[in-house]
Amino acid sequence: MIRIQNLFKRYHQQKLSDWVLRDINIEIPTNVSVGLIGKNGAGKSTLLRLIGGMDMPDRGVIETDSRISWPIGLGGGFQYAMTGRQNVKFVARIHGCEKSLDEVVQQVEQFAEIGDYFDEPLRTYSSGMRARLAFGLSLAFDFDVYLSDEATAVGDRAFREKASKAFKEKVGKSSLIIVSHSEGILKDLCEAGVWLNEGQAQWYGDINDAIADYHAQTNLMLP
Amino acid sequence: MSSESSLKKQSRSSWQITKSVWWALLIREALSRTMSDRLGWFWLFAQPVLIVIVMVSIRTVVLGRMRTISGAEFVPWLIIGLLGFQLFRETMMRSMGAVEANRQLFSYRQVMCIDPVFVRCYVEGLLATFVLLIFVFVTLLFDFSLVPHDSVMALYSWFSLWFLGVGGGLVISVSATLLPETKKIVPVLMMPLLLLSGVIFPINYLPPVYQEYFLLNPIVHGLELFRGYTFEAYQPLKEVSFYYLWLWSLSLVTLGLMLHIRFQHRLKVL
Repeated sequence: MIRIQNLFKRYHQQKLSDWVLRDINIEIPTNVSVGLIGKNGAGKSTLLRLIGGMDMPDRGVIETDSRISWPIGLGGGFQYAMTGRQNVKFVARIHGCEKSLDEVVQQVEQFAEIGDYFDEPLRTYSSGMRARLAFGLSLAFDFDVYLSDEATAVGDRAFREKASKAFKEKVGKSSLIIVSHSEGILKDLCEAGVWLNEGQAQWYGDINDAIADYHAQTNLMLP
Repeated sequence: MSSESSLKKQSRSSWQITKSVWWALLIREALSRTMSDRLGWFWLFAQPVLIVIVMVSIRTVVLGRMRTISGAEFVPWLIIGLLGFQLFRETMMRSMGAVEANRQLFSYRQVMCIDPVFVRCYVEGLLATFVLLIFVFVTLLFDFSLVPHDSVMALYSWFSLWFLGVGGGLVISVSATLLPETKKIVPVLMMPLLLLSGVIFPINYLPPVYQEYFLLNPIVHGLELFRGYTFEAYQPLKEVSFYYLWLWSLSLVTLGLMLHIRFQHRLKVL
């Protein structure tokens, strides 16, 4: 269960920006996968980072009794000068996992299927290869909630299949919170939805309703 | 099974998490320092050794040499000063980039901004100590000795200088991240600081009127004490004290920790 109460967030750059998130109140029940939708800049990734504990809200609280992953995305979390194997070992070490280090490395290597690139520095990877590694890495740990920020978007077809299959196997044990513009993925993996609009969050018990409302507002129907 | 294991993980204490983060960062730091270029591990030691050798050659060959400095041979005196100053400088300067270099790793909430700073300070201290040992052993082959006459107190002075670097590093790691100008200004200040710390020119030779001002610099205290406990006959300035040095170190460490706590979220997101 993740309970978000009266959450406000804005960024402090050179000058104070307007509120990105304004008074968000949602409760995500245990084992319910949620899709976050909204236009670019609506605050989807910000909300995901807040849930993942990477960033702090200006006001309000996020309460949880679940083990939440880091936001699995395209950019963050990897050292570009290090090889895939070294990055995996690093993450395994900071999570102090009960599995052995070799077990984690082996599992990620098998899932990612990037061959010899596993021992090459991350900077030589394509974005698809990075996504494969990031996904494989997060799956090696038993989280209750996985946060995914468009991580599946750049994978090829085979990999998308594999990723959704891996998550479907975890249904009942863990859930997902996904930011994505690919509605196929959202409908496939999520039950509930949250539509972020003008800094406000609207909860939908059915992801299809969320997508329908989002479309109605943007008047942009995607196939 | 999975709920059992996750329960076990949730009960990890803050200290256990911090320990595993430090261990992971230490390995990461070691790998990046040794793999960055060919023979990385060799240059790790060769570079500081070469700097000392070049400085000593310039000072003795080009500028001519003073034979002794009130109770110590000039060359060992200079080497000890340079090594002590390098310990302080490298500890502080490497900390400056620590937050920036590990930005990607703050995706994992276990990693705090202060962790890479601590780890870098530790690594620098270790490296500098190895370099010191190299000099102590190699100079045994020559006609002078760097083996301290009071090893315990010499090591304590060495540790105090390192701790001063840690304090400076903690403060500067925050300011360099929030105010990028720091990264331009601090390296410029390091050269005059080398002279002002009495590394190359002995402060004993200055008129006492000026000594007073030089003694405001805590590095002078650290270096003089270190030399005093290394060379038996050497007469350090009478005014130097561990008390003053540690007053600076502890103030800097406190300030650095406060800055890290105050700005931890901004450092992470920036």
